[in-house]
Amino acid sequence: MMVARMLVSRLAPLLACLGLLAIWQAGALTLSTESFPTALEALRAVPAILGDRESLVNILASLRRMSIAFSVALVVSIPLGLMMGRNRFVACFFNPLLMITYPVPKAALMPIIMLWLGVGDIAKMLVIFLGVSLPVIYHSFQGARAVEEKMLWSGAAMGLSAAQRMIRIVLPAALPEILTGCRTGLVLALITMVTSEMIARQSGAGNILFNSLDMGQYDIVYAMIIIIGALGIGLDAAFERLRRRLVRWSEPGFEIPLSFA
Amino acid sequence: MVGAWLRNPAELRMNVKAISTDVLLGIVPIALLVAVWQGISSFGYAPMTLLPPPGLVFMRLVQQLATDTFQQAIIATLFRLFAGFSIAVILGVGIGLAAAASPAVNAVVRPIVRVLAPLPKVALYPALLLLLGFGHESKIVLVAADALFPILLSTYYGASMVEQKLIWSAMAAGTPRHQILFKVVLPAAVPSILTGCRIGLVISCIVVFLAEMITSTEGLGHLLVTAARTFQAVDMFVPLITISLLGLTLNALLQALRSYLLRGFPEI
Repeated sequence: MMVARMLVSRLAPLLACLGLLAIWQAGALTLSTESFPTALEALRAVPAILGDRESLVNILASLRRMSIAFSVALVVSIPLGLMMGRNRFVACFFNPLLMITYPVPKAALMPIIMLWLGVGDIAKMLVIFLGVSLPVIYHSFQGARAVEEKMLWSGAAMGLSAAQRMIRIVLPAALPEILTGCRTGLVLALITMVTSEMIARQSGAGNILFNSLDMGQYDIVYAMIIIIGALGIGLDAAFERLRRRLVRWSEPGFEIPLSFA
Repeated sequence: MVGAWLRNPAELRMNVKAISTDVLLGIVPIALLVAVWQGISSFGYAPMTLLPPPGLVFMRLVQQLATDTFQQAIIATLFRLFAGFSIAVILGVGIGLAAAASPAVNAVVRPIVRVLAPLPKVALYPALLLLLGFGHESKIVLVAADALFPILLSTYYGASMVEQKLIWSAMAAGTPRHQILFKVVLPAAVPSILTGCRIGLVISCIVVFLAEMITSTEGLGHLLVTAARTFQAVDMFVPLITISLLGLTLNALLQALRSYLLRGFPEI
């Protein structure tokens, strides 16, 4: 019984994928327009894209840019967020600036940054960096702010220096919240990656997607959507596994459903 | 509670002082940014065509705000933003509550959300364009799809964190079972729902702009793209500043709604 339930909960996302593809297939068959190929046709075009050397290089270049920008953003944002959470002056200093920049679409800065830095890798990585860093800073800030004061006092009483308290008390205590921010950041990184390449049509996954849209190659459009979607789901699932392992201590071992219905 | 400890005039003064230093401290980096911007352009490190001085940009913004085409663009953008955001709120809160209340709905919704939430929705935009055309619909659907998941997830978490004791007390006090959802669970989940709405609103601002940049004939994003094509650097900054101001205004409105709805509760 337990095993069967485990199996069902493991397979549920896969079933959901299949269900969505089935809905797509049914929708395409009923509409049957040229611009909306069926799920099967789109899936059939996926291996063709991944097998093509040029498109594969393009997609890998996108992923390389994304991972570099993502890592740099984490290295900068997490310490900044933690400092903001523990120090009122740092918080007051950066908070308004972050509030103003938060609703600006980072990918929309692409045309301006392209004017300065050209269409190369650096412009795209800068845009991804900006997109990722804000949620990570915000969540690290919230996490560090919620750390219990008593733990810091005990740490200080036991002779930890301010830097040591930051690393050994604040960082672990804020980790669940930081990782939530990283997860949001990961999705945003993918979104920004696609849009930046769509604006600077030079290389990358977004470039293939929107070029094929302009040229009317609809099966490639939908196949690229599947590939990018799978990338998002795969990266998110991998990150979720890592997160579970890192913060297992902070989560309740079981879920209690509300009972009233 | 706040009123009680503010009654002492000395404390009140100190408090005002503390707040004003905070505000001043916060203005410093923004002022610094503008100063560096002004410095770079006035000392000639960057030509006018690449980085126009801030004064020129803000003059242009004020001048543009008065023109008819610019107002039309703002209205188009706001319409799409609100339509998409409202759809996201209605669906997100509805599905989130249903999933928290019923295990059967939860079993269906949870895996679908797990698959769809991390999907980069911008990648779906070409499909939406092909299906719904280049007008309002495709953009509204994209905004709704992007804003939906943060609202749905925070509604779900908020509703499933409601204390069981509250529900039992309401049931003991004679609340009919079908009313508990609206009289106990929904109000208790409001703080969490509003947090989700805030994230969803920022995302809506970003997405509506991007969608207009990709393909559009009107709206702020379209203005940016036309300016970029003709290398009018000044006109590229104006829509960006406008969307930032719109985002801040909407955020402040949501914050006001939050403090109205949660009046009497300590801020969570």
